[in-house]
Amino acid sequence: MFAVEMNNVNVYLGDRQILKEVTLKVHYNTVFVIMGPSGSGKTTLLRVINRLIDTTEGARVVGSIRVLGFDVMNYDPYELRKHIGMVFQVPNPFPHLTIYENVAIAAKINGVVKNKKELNDVVRWALEKAMLWDEVKDRLHEYPHQLSGGQRQRLCLARALAMKPKLLLLDEPTANIDPVNARKLENAIVSLKDEVTVVMVTHSPYQAARVADYVAVLYDGMVVEQGSAQQLFLRPSTDIAQKLLRGEM
Amino acid sequence: MYSWRKIREKLFICIIILLSLLAIAPIIHLVIVVSINGIAIFVKAGTSFFTGLPPTPLSEEIGGIAPSIIGTLLMTMISLSITITLAVFAAILTTEFPKNSISVAIDAIAKSLASIPTIAVSMIVYTLVVVPMKGFSALAGSVALTIIALPYAYTYFSMVLRSVPAIYREAAFSVAMSRWSAVIRVLIPIARKGIAVGVLMTMARIMGETAALLFTAGRFRNKVSFSPTEPADAIPLLIFDYILSPYDIWHQVAWGATALLLLAYIAIFFAVKLIVKEVKL
Repeated sequence: MFAVEMNNVNVYLGDRQILKEVTLKVHYNTVFVIMGPSGSGKTTLLRVINRLIDTTEGARVVGSIRVLGFDVMNYDPYELRKHIGMVFQVPNPFPHLTIYENVAIAAKINGVVKNKKELNDVVRWALEKAMLWDEVKDRLHEYPHQLSGGQRQRLCLARALAMKPKLLLLDEPTANIDPVNARKLENAIVSLKDEVTVVMVTHSPYQAARVADYVAVLYDGMVVEQGSAQQLFLRPSTDIAQKLLRGEM
Repeated sequence: MYSWRKIREKLFICIIILLSLLAIAPIIHLVIVVSINGIAIFVKAGTSFFTGLPPTPLSEEIGGIAPSIIGTLLMTMISLSITITLAVFAAILTTEFPKNSISVAIDAIAKSLASIPTIAVSMIVYTLVVVPMKGFSALAGSVALTIIALPYAYTYFSMVLRSVPAIYREAAFSVAMSRWSAVIRVLIPIARKGIAVGVLMTMARIMGETAALLFTAGRFRNKVSFSPTEPADAIPLLIFDYILSPYDIWHQVAWGATALLLLAYIAIFFAVKLIVKEVKL
């Protein structure tokens, strides 16, 4: 059993093919990193997993996708997303909700808690896991615009965790934040492995090396190489992977 | 010594200030003139201006405009509640499902309705509502006002909802919110200030409309009526009729009525500013 299992997945956006015959397998409780140059289809691949691709006009998915045992294309997307958290490239906490409410809303919607005490516990747990609790514990009723960019992104991670997901999708979560916050986020990701499977998109080979257990290299919509992080970083077998690791792509 | 660049910059700022003053000067002039003339009438007539009936042409007393105030409130309430409900739902539908055939139809109808002259709307409602009901009524006036305000409100609300960045819609979906839940819990709260301003602007449009009521409401100002099925009057209709008349006393009443309408707009504007807080993104 795999957390994510894709077989010959093709994604079309109108007439354009974004993903081509993608086949990959993600083990439970690992950090699986997808690397590739801009426009290679990394974000699309993530959006297929939780069917956020459905919200893109003209998108069509063909192929077999099983996530957490569910047949993704034949399963209710809203039910599916209850098991899958996601953090986006641009921090997007709900601006009309307080820090507390941003985390609490995810727990409440997904029926994770039964009462106020449980809700408070989950909010604290999620903020601790996202390594944000110490910075916001005295200002839970402030709004996200009062936080820094990196704190906002960690708040988004806490929101995703409050759903108690089994799978976490991270779309270049450190792309728009400073190195200190990026490192905190990386530490949080690594520490989450025992509780959740992580699929993460990144541009940076260094970041991938720090957090990944397994890596897939995507190029022009195709998986050109995949395997354990150690194997891929030490002995990349394709020219594309070698160029990517050298920062030439 | 100033460089040419600094002089150009100062000149540009001066031109901008001058043009801005020119743009707002007519509005300030209007507010001052209406306030001076209107408040003088309030003082002269006292509270009876808001509770009494309009004067006869040769009367010495100013009287009041109660039938017009009640008529305006009644028709505004009916029309605003229908308009806002329909416009918000239509805007949600067309924003969330822009390619849906119903959305396309709503958009096309809204655009065509917006271009119909208000006097023509009055004639259409006269034929469709006044004639079958065998009389003018506040209800007929409200229908006409709704037809005029609906495309206006719909266009504004669509614009407000579309202005919410897509990243928040995606965030809502990512925490397993349904589309409806995302609209109610995320999009509308983020756009609340814009929606409140839209309600205010629609209200102002309804309260200030004259032509749509000419053949529908009935211009009935002999008694105060709270019934939607009875003929009614509205403040703009009273102003229109009285300002065209040759009687000085009616001119004075028209000034008072205009000031009341203006003060109502200003009060609502500041109330919305104070009560509804903008969401900082």
